[in-house]
Amino acid sequence: MSKPVVKLLLTLSLLCIIPSFLFALTGEEVIQKMDEMATFETSVSTGSIKTTDRFGTKISTFKAWARGASDSLIEFTSTAERGQKILRTQSSLYLFYPDAEELIRLQGAALRQSVLGSDLSYEDMTEEKNTLDSYTVVLEGSEIVNGHDCHVLTLTAKKRTVAYPVQKIWVDKQTYLVWKAEYSTAQKRLLKVMEVLSTVEVAGRTLPSETKIEDKMKRDSATWMTLDSLEVNVPLGANIFSLENLTW
Amino acid sequence: MKFILELAAKNLLRYKRRTIITSIAIAMGLMMYIFVDSLLMGANLESMRNLKWYETASLRVHKESYWEERMFLPLESSIGDPEAVLDLLAKKGIAATERTVFTADMILYQDDFGEDGNMTVQVTAINPETDFSVYRFKDTLLEGRFLQKGEMDGVVLGSWFAEDIGAKVGYWVTFVTRGKGGFYEAFDMQIVGIVNCPNPNVNRTLVMMDKDAADLYLGMEGAVTSIDILLPEKSNLASVSKTLQADLASIDPQLRVFTWEDLAHDYLALLQAKQGGTGLILFLVFIIAAVGVSNTMLMAMFERMREIGMMRAMGMKDRDILFSFLFEAGGIGLVGSLVGVLLGVLANLYLVNVGFDFGFMFRDMDIGFRIQNVMRGAWSIATIAKAFFSGIGLSMLVAIFPIRRALKLDIPTCLHHQ
Amino acid sequence: MTIKLPAVAFRNIFRNFRRSMLSAIAIAVSAMAIMALLALLEAMESDMATNLVSYYTGEVRIRHESFEQYERYNPLHLSLDMDEVLPLVEKQEGVRAATERINFPANLYLNGKNNAALGVGVDFASEEAFIDFPSLVKEGRLPTEGSNEMLIGALLARDLHLNLGDKVTVLTSTALRGSNAMTFQIVGIASFPVGGLNAKVLYVPLDRAQYLLRMEGQVQEILLLTEDGYKERDVAASVKELLQTELSLQTETKAWKDLNAMYSLLSIAKFIYYVMGAIFFLLGSTVIINTTMMVIYERMREIGTLGALGMQGKELTRLFLLEGSFISIIGSTLGTIAGLIIVFILSKVGLNFTEAMSGVDMEISSILYPQVNFFIALFVWVYAIIIASLSTLIPSRRASKIQIVEALRYV
Repeated sequence: MSKPVVKLLLTLSLLCIIPSFLFALTGEEVIQKMDEMATFETSVSTGSIKTTDRFGTKISTFKAWARGASDSLIEFTSTAERGQKILRTQSSLYLFYPDAEELIRLQGAALRQSVLGSDLSYEDMTEEKNTLDSYTVVLEGSEIVNGHDCHVLTLTAKKRTVAYPVQKIWVDKQTYLVWKAEYSTAQKRLLKVMEVLSTVEVAGRTLPSETKIEDKMKRDSATWMTLDSLEVNVPLGANIFSLENLTW
Repeated sequence: MKFILELAAKNLLRYKRRTIITSIAIAMGLMMYIFVDSLLMGANLESMRNLKWYETASLRVHKESYWEERMFLPLESSIGDPEAVLDLLAKKGIAATERTVFTADMILYQDDFGEDGNMTVQVTAINPETDFSVYRFKDTLLEGRFLQKGEMDGVVLGSWFAEDIGAKVGYWVTFVTRGKGGFYEAFDMQIVGIVNCPNPNVNRTLVMMDKDAADLYLGMEGAVTSIDILLPEKSNLASVSKTLQADLASIDPQLRVFTWEDLAHDYLALLQAKQGGTGLILFLVFIIAAVGVSNTMLMAMFERMREIGMMRAMGMKDRDILFSFLFEAGGIGLVGSLVGVLLGVLANLYLVNVGFDFGFMFRDMDIGFRIQNVMRGAWSIATIAKAFFSGIGLSMLVAIFPIRRALKLDIPTCLHHQ
Repeated sequence: MTIKLPAVAFRNIFRNFRRSMLSAIAIAVSAMAIMALLALLEAMESDMATNLVSYYTGEVRIRHESFEQYERYNPLHLSLDMDEVLPLVEKQEGVRAATERINFPANLYLNGKNNAALGVGVDFASEEAFIDFPSLVKEGRLPTEGSNEMLIGALLARDLHLNLGDKVTVLTSTALRGSNAMTFQIVGIASFPVGGLNAKVLYVPLDRAQYLLRMEGQVQEILLLTEDGYKERDVAASVKELLQTELSLQTETKAWKDLNAMYSLLSIAKFIYYVMGAIFFLLGSTVIINTTMMVIYERMREIGTLGALGMQGKELTRLFLLEGSFISIIGSTLGTIAGLIIVFILSKVGLNFTEAMSGVDMEISSILYPQVNFFIALFVWVYAIIIASLSTLIPSRRASKIQIVEALRYV
């Protein structure tokens, strides 16, 4: 190899490396990337929710459709709640019960109720995936979580309409998957902990397939969410997130 | 006329025993009537007071949207500028205090309670400096102390509630709640006091903390969910609330004044209900008392046939005889009524201030919780006045019958009367 | 002097008939009012007991062993297997009737708002012995098994502006700790004799409640009525043991008197009634005593005359005692009979408090039917006689000791 060529390569590689030194990833960029990775044009998934509390364990299964960051529809398929649906659109949340002749619209404080007695509230479940709108981000450093090198970020709520004033999240440096999240009050009091137990690869992205959420304020209270299947960017019917569709 | 009055007075003294017995009949009847009425009214008043003194106050100001969503206690629909409202009320000389009510998950720990647990509670945040001017929790302290202004980590519980969950003064609990807007907040609180509130509904659920602490934790920024107003007992709620409503419009057109009747419309029916049975019982008391008075009086008068005959024989005018006897009967009625009202007032004094304690009935019974166990009376000037005048009136009315009868008979028959 | 005192006493009654009449009337009215009051109080008390038993607890209530401990969490899953428990307890000695229920908090979703109510799933057929539904329905009919129909309290319907035929969606938590909602049609509006229920309760067929709450074949509680002659506590104990041995099922099986909150309610009511009763006896007694004493004192001259004629003090006392007794027997008998008649009429017609009682939580019916109670009648009868007779003693004994001359001077 001739000298000039080596020189050129070195320069090129240097040129390539330098930007990454000069402009190290900011917290905002990590979050943007993370949100991007978690949001799909459309998605269809099936899975289950396992809940334990003082009275024991129960499992519910569901099928979910989502479009973008704000529209989602969840239909429960387990016997106990078969046919119940939760529709979330830009502005509202509706509950459909097969034996009820009208839709129940949840708004305001009613959204804070737990879904099927789990540690998830309706608002948790349908939370907007636009993290940066609601939080300011500080990149705290890196840590190894379950053998994965992660960015550690602290998110502080910008507004009071966000449920968790402080979140600490561990985002995989490679896949931008959130391995762990701690949700706290403004005084850093730990409320809930989310951990990803296993992952699945879909369309070149790594997504959580089993997640555990623990309520740190209540003993013996935990919820596991498991995704059994996940298809992304599949064409969905135009009116799947409409009220009319909810009542079929 | 003077002669007739003197005669009546003399007769009253001459037949001391008769006067005494008849007076006793009247006095007892009156006393019992006052007593029963007081007891029954006391029960009514008690529940009304319990409601107003510990739950609803006389009037309450809420945001209109709060009232519509009141089931969820929405902090978002709170009164933004309570100071303006309080100033307005202070200028009018009306006692008022601000409160913030919110729901929270109360977490209990094994260390103190022996078992971990949690429950949804309704927390009332009060201003310890002004709350006592509207609500009456001051006299209800059972253990520990009351809240202090600006106290960040003290709560006061109702005694039944405390008993129910096994809470003692000094125990720590944690509240997890959502602040104004919906953010999560959690804070540790120590139980500093336990109150025994006579309103069972409140005693079973009460959790109280300082308003400034709640303001900070919930991000209220000075807003409160209600301003509670106490009016003097006899005020006209409707008119006061109407003028207040008009005044409040200048502060915030969204504010609404609610009377305690609006706030507790279920209870109101309860009060009316008791009146049904009350009326019946009072009627029965009245019947016995009236029969007692009239019988004794009738007898006293019939026994005087001979005397009437004598007076007629001596040429006294029928009208004068009638009046002299009527005044005598009125005199007996007056004595009886005075004694009766006096006794009634004395008995009532005890009934209102001390009351019947029926706690002894439950002492050996395992009922799991304490019961509001003192039955108290209530003052009613109207009842006392009614009793007083009907005592005199009834005596005189009843006397007319035998006297007129005597006046119709011929004199010898009267004189022969046994 | 040997005269037949009873005969003289008897004659004396008629010698001054008016006086005797007045005295007798006083006694009679007192006796009658006391009778009426006691019957009223007894009716209120027994009515309260009946309502507690019919609407809340039965005479014996069977629940899952730990239901009470976790009651605040609404643990519907701590339930009983209906097909297992019911046939067994129904056959148990001393059990007259049994029914099963599920109480659940129900949110009525109307115009986008939630309204709190209390739902009860009942088996309308077996409820017959407990709640007499057909007679309570004011409008419409009872819900039929298997269809989404509800019977709603009249006040609740009024408060929420609901009418017959309206459809209401009921939102609730299930036994599986999920949520569920179901739309029911209002087919009946009922006026419950218990105001507290009227304003908050809705009854749906048990099978629909089980479906709504995901409690297939399960019930929250089984209520029993006991056969006459059996003690509730004994039946409760034997049923509890039966379930334990036959099904090895631990239950909380208690007689209603041992269900504290309910019974203490009743105890308070009883106490208030006792106070009322005591006041009435006191007042009645003073009226009787006053009248009787009056009668004697007015006859001082007569006493003097009798004394002058040589009648002994003791005989005098006995004479007046006898006379007083005769009058009181007449008065008391008349009063008791009048009281009985009043109570009898009321027991047929009923005392209607309907308008007044709406929304009452004291669990007293709106229409009371005081019952004729011969024990009370006898008691009041004897009481009036004794009080009246005794109260003649004081003045007549005094009179017998008085100087003859002084007694004669008495006007």
